[in-house]
Amino acid sequence: MDMKKYQEENAEIQFKHRYWGWQIALYLFLGGLGGGILFLTWVMSAFVFPGVDLTQAFMLPNFIALLVIAFGLFCLVEELGQPPVFYRAYVTATSIIKWGAVLLTIASFGSLFWLLGNWSAESPVLGFLSVFNFFGGASGIWLAAAGIAGFGIMVYTGVMLSTLKAHAFWSTPALPVLFTTSALSTACAGIMLSLCGWPGVASLETAEAAHQVHGLLHTLDIVLAFAELTILLIMVLSFLGAGNRTQQRVAKRWVKGSTAPIFWIGMVGCGLVIPLIMNASGNALAGTIACILVLCGGCLLRFMCVWSDDRQPLEGENRYYFRQKHADMAFASYYTKSGKELERGENFAYIDNLY
Amino acid sequence: MTRYAMCIDLHRCIGCHSCSAACRTWNDLPIDIIYNPVLGGVCEGTWPNVHRNYLPTLCMHCKNPECVPCCPTGASQQDEDGVVWVDTKICMGCKVCVNACPYGMRDTSHTVRRFDEFVRKCTFCKERREMEPGADPYCVQTCHQHARTFGDIDDPNSEISRLIGRSDTFRLLEELGTDPQIYYIPDMGGTR
Repeated sequence: MDMKKYQEENAEIQFKHRYWGWQIALYLFLGGLGGGILFLTWVMSAFVFPGVDLTQAFMLPNFIALLVIAFGLFCLVEELGQPPVFYRAYVTATSIIKWGAVLLTIASFGSLFWLLGNWSAESPVLGFLSVFNFFGGASGIWLAAAGIAGFGIMVYTGVMLSTLKAHAFWSTPALPVLFTTSALSTACAGIMLSLCGWPGVASLETAEAAHQVHGLLHTLDIVLAFAELTILLIMVLSFLGAGNRTQQRVAKRWVKGSTAPIFWIGMVGCGLVIPLIMNASGNALAGTIACILVLCGGCLLRFMCVWSDDRQPLEGENRYYFRQKHADMAFASYYTKSGKELERGENFAYIDNLY
Repeated sequence: MTRYAMCIDLHRCIGCHSCSAACRTWNDLPIDIIYNPVLGGVCEGTWPNVHRNYLPTLCMHCKNPECVPCCPTGASQQDEDGVVWVDTKICMGCKVCVNACPYGMRDTSHTVRRFDEFVRKCTFCKERREMEPGADPYCVQTCHQHARTFGDIDDPNSEISRLIGRSDTFRLLEELGTDPQIYYIPDMGGTR
């Protein structure tokens, strides 16, 4: 083996120890989206348009919020090593994950009871669910509970990652701010795409009020997309310029490395700048496409952040895991899968081939 | 009060991986889990002044562990003697503690049956010490170079206290404030 070449390659290895898969990234996106929709529904209904009945206009957004939170929770549970015992997550008082689980549960049940309490018998499908209208007596309480929990979820998704200071790219106060802004932005997009849809039964008054809400969210989404773009660029570029060695390595990968096309074209371009321009144009079709792009950009952000989980390697750790990955593990897998012991000398020949 | 710690003399370590083998054997670990990898082994310097450094590692059993408070089930625990361990009957395999550990000394096995994954880590051979009070962890017992010294660091007369007291030691990633309890005596080549 050419030792010099090996060491050169070794220096370029991006030390990776990825423990969380796509499920967690998707969960963070869906949790933020669902929480944001519930929060905005509450804010719009209780504070921005207090005298207007927006209930039927917000039925579909809330229904979507419930579904995405439920699917996000499914992803979270599926990713566990032992999914059947997921209820253990509610045990300790100190863990941030426990608070996330509690918030998600409150938001889910608040949203469900609010939906059932306001489900119209005239709804084209599943109209029979109006038998649960007795929940409607406390409709304001359910929505407030879901909205407050939704705000908590938006903040929690970023805080959860930022508390893990072993990962340099996550361990920054900017991450919860970025995730919260992105969650609000994607929630605006989600609501704008689904206002007044099934199962809501929209009257003319509802449609008029929804139009006002749409206009407000449209403006809010432009502001949020601009804020998100600013925070994202400040965070990544400050890591690149003034971060520690690990932060610089990740930021370099984002700005001019292997994930630069995803960052610049996918996240910044398609996820933020193009939707900004489209939203500003005022065209209805462009606005719809912009909403879809914002949702895709938000999802991409979570995936890129979760996959930027580089940890500061210990002395020689890169070399150790490089060898383990390329030789020892392959040999061990081969050795165990073959189901029989290799003949004397065969295993050494196998190792030589690997190198 | 007893506070267990370990001191590893890098002068003595020759990178034979006996400690890893002993740990894996005695703890019956799956093939993709190593509690105490011996890192390093890269040649440094220019001939004839060359040197090869090894860095035997294991869980640092930190005084302020990152992995304990983040556990949502309470499975990740720290005893009064400082030993950090995972109660596998409570762990649900969420891997938050694995992500929280700055040293990468926790993992779940991917070779076990699905729905049976839990986080594993070094416990200073807790079970063995419970059965045989005063016994050393297997990695300490196996090290034929006597590079590893285990004991109560709060006891001023213990071997480890005297060793740390008379040597220039360092600890890994001290700047994170975790107060790791694995002390290293640096090698001539300079591992730091």
